[in-house]
Amino acid sequence: MTAPGLPEVEVGTVLPPLAVTFTRERLVRYAGASTDFNPIHYSDHYAAQVGLPGVIAHGLLTMGVALRVVTDWVGDPAAVTTYFVRFTKPVVVPDTSDGVEVVFTATVVGIEGTVATVAIEASCAEVKVLGAARAEVELGGVR
Amino acid sequence: MPITEAHAGRHYPPTAPYPVSATKIAEFAAALGDDNPAYQGPDAIAPPTFTAVVSAAAWESMFADAELDLALRRIVHGDQRFRYVRPVRVGDLITATLTIDKVRVRAGSEILTCSVRVQTTADEEICTTSSTFFHSREVAA
Repeated sequence: MTAPGLPEVEVGTVLPPLAVTFTRERLVRYAGASTDFNPIHYSDHYAAQVGLPGVIAHGLLTMGVALRVVTDWVGDPAAVTTYFVRFTKPVVVPDTSDGVEVVFTATVVGIEGTVATVAIEASCAEVKVLGAARAEVELGGVR
Repeated sequence: MPITEAHAGRHYPPTAPYPVSATKIAEFAAALGDDNPAYQGPDAIAPPTFTAVVSAAAWESMFADAELDLALRRIVHGDQRFRYVRPVRVGDLITATLTIDKVRVRAGSEILTCSVRVQTTADEEICTTSSTFFHSREVAA
């Protein structure tokens, strides 16, 4: 099945993947930009207190970066109408210059009218860190 | 007294109106490492997850609610949903209004589901979000 006027998009279309390095600097930047100052995102001490193996990325940072796979593909971010993710595993970010790499992939899993449903996967050291991640994208034009 | 299942339905006043600037949108996009041109300049729109900025203020009012006895450092985000009516734009004056939809109490922890309505001060709807948070009551040994 193909979206009207968009012959290149069909169920099974694979979006260009994205690999992004998460460092402590990125977490600090996101904390400031988002105003989420939960110390588990910058302090090993507080992360350990809640039983985490180390400082973890903000779920919403991983979620925000993951959506780049979709918005890079569609071009206009306003085309995204819904977005859901489950934070299944934390992205542990070591205090090193290399940080940790997260790989994002996405596939069109449904088309209804001009709306495509895209399933997104995110892996860190081959462990899936997002579950059931889905974005719906309006392909029929700018709202 | 800690949070209980009876706190479902509890809601909070809208957050203080937040003026969306081109500078803040650019800062947020940079934090995501996202160079999409839509996020640049005086007519920029914000990345879809930008509403986290005002949602965080709404979540803060819940986490700081003495009656619920929660601690931000013991909160872990479980899942997150956004439904967009339109993107946030430079010049918007936006608020976030939080409602606790459901509370499940477990031994030593709670699962909270809450929704946040993001709108302009002119009552224009921008997005609704729904989140699940896990709160651990006991400090790990």
